[in-house]
Amino acid sequence: MPMVLLKCDKDIPERQKHIYLKAPDEDTRSYLPISNAATIPGSLSERGCAFCGAKLVIGGVLKDTIQMIHGPIGCAYDTWHTKRYPTDNGHFNMKYVWSTDMKESHIVFGGEKRLEKSINEAFDEMPEINRMIVYTTCPTALIGDDIKAVAKKVMQERPNVDIFTVECPGFSGVSQSKGHHVLNIGWINEKVDTLTKEITSPYTMNFIGDFNIQGDTQLLQTYWDKLGIQIISHFTGNGAYDDLRCMQQAQLNVVNCARSSGYIANELKKRYGIPRLDIDSWGFSYMAEGIRKICAFFGIEERGEALIAEEEAKWKPKLDWYKERLKGTKMAIWTGGPRLWHWTKSVEDDLGVQVVAMSSKFGHEEDFEKVIARGKEGTYYIDDGNELEFFEIIELVKPDVIFTGPRVGELVKKLHIPYVNGHGYHNGPYMGFEGFVNLARDMYNAVHSPLIGLAGIDIRGNKAAPEQIKEAA
Amino acid sequence: MTSNNEILSDKVGDLYEYVQERCLWQFYSRSWDRVENIDGILAQATGMFIGKKLDTPTPQDRYFMAEAKIMVDDCLSRYSWLKDASEEEIRVIIGELHGRLTDIAITSSKNHELTHTLY
Repeated sequence: MPMVLLKCDKDIPERQKHIYLKAPDEDTRSYLPISNAATIPGSLSERGCAFCGAKLVIGGVLKDTIQMIHGPIGCAYDTWHTKRYPTDNGHFNMKYVWSTDMKESHIVFGGEKRLEKSINEAFDEMPEINRMIVYTTCPTALIGDDIKAVAKKVMQERPNVDIFTVECPGFSGVSQSKGHHVLNIGWINEKVDTLTKEITSPYTMNFIGDFNIQGDTQLLQTYWDKLGIQIISHFTGNGAYDDLRCMQQAQLNVVNCARSSGYIANELKKRYGIPRLDIDSWGFSYMAEGIRKICAFFGIEERGEALIAEEEAKWKPKLDWYKERLKGTKMAIWTGGPRLWHWTKSVEDDLGVQVVAMSSKFGHEEDFEKVIARGKEGTYYIDDGNELEFFEIIELVKPDVIFTGPRVGELVKKLHIPYVNGHGYHNGPYMGFEGFVNLARDMYNAVHSPLIGLAGIDIRGNKAAPEQIKEAA
Repeated sequence: MTSNNEILSDKVGDLYEYVQERCLWQFYSRSWDRVENIDGILAQATGMFIGKKLDTPTPQDRYFMAEAKIMVDDCLSRYSWLKDASEEEIRVIIGELHGRLTDIAITSSKNHELTHTLY
């Protein structure tokens, strides 16, 4: 019974294996949604492609790197500027987009010359930038363009530049997740341990799997500075290409997003003996716990307790104000994967919010083990949810607010249910102590704003739109 | 009347629920990562509970210690019975906990990626 076949899925009964309703006295030994599997034909998935996972999620975050997308122009635009990851150097990564703009003739006759020309043009136009990632896309992978050979040729001709190649066309995996994997493994194989940097602290770590969404990384950096910990590299929020070539120098790998970046932490442990420490950076209780673990590792517990006390004194009264007003709010989380397990207990413990449904676009079974262990009974856990399922789940659990991306957000707005951008945030950062107050504020504003309800009232009276137009809207 | 076995089971249940809810280390990527974490962290935690701290000669040992320290502090503040537990009782409880975590996270896990040879 706990694996659920929704009414809308009657013609694609395979979907039952992807939707779980947690019942009393059950655990993940009995039921675990199938995940990281190919989308079932007939299901209108909201997943992205493997190339998107490499470029939009990880590579494109870097602050000092040209992102050359070897493919048609649409692949570039659709993975640019849809996430808000600022940088401390004027947001270079968000101001520019690069593409080889492949057309039919290039597909017919090959695109390597065009790629070489584009790489040189980009470096010529931006002489202050000498780092680049080149990505294949579906068409250039299909025609067999050898982007590694082109990159090698350019690096020989321009000794001051360094280029990393990501051969991860959109079709190469079932979702974005494949792109995370390819970029992680490619980077450790080709770029880690090719450079060293000056060590300025007895305490060093890599911060892995945080992408500086609306300043997350920069907020957490204030904590590491206060603790006296040198960050060797950020993978990849506000990160620098050359810092990531020095990852082998860290004493500890602290991992936030285990899904997108756990691979490189695992490899760093295997190859260099650097321990992996997973933390949750969202929520007061979790953030304090993460700081305590890091400080225990380095033997600087007093500094950690001082930092936590300072932050809690500053932000806890604000959090409590929102908690008082959000208690009992029913929330749905429909994001990529890890935010399901990062958030479900933190919003419950810190804000009194009840999570009633969660859907993951690209999570693996490991993510569902985590979220089902943490999540409540009576909550739905969905892998690769489709639009009709979202409609049906909304009817079943009647959430007060949905944290999801802009695409599904537009859908739920039409149902006059408030949504908060769970990927790029409304008004972040959301990590850390201050960040969780921001999240609470955005949730409060969403739930209590009268606008969403007022927007549902048709003020045209007798001139109201015909039913079929209403349905289409 | 509650039997000794039931009391023991309740105490193991307390710690098991805590770990399931709070500890990401039980869910690392592969079965060998999970074995390593469960063994290493619970060994450190046992030492802390009974007042015999273990050495941490390697970075990985220091990591186990850091995870165990937070777990032990949290559990001591949540479960008052822990303060009165004898060394023998702690060893039995942690042994049972080790078995339950190994079962849910490794032996009976439905996660198909646990035994992949590569990351």
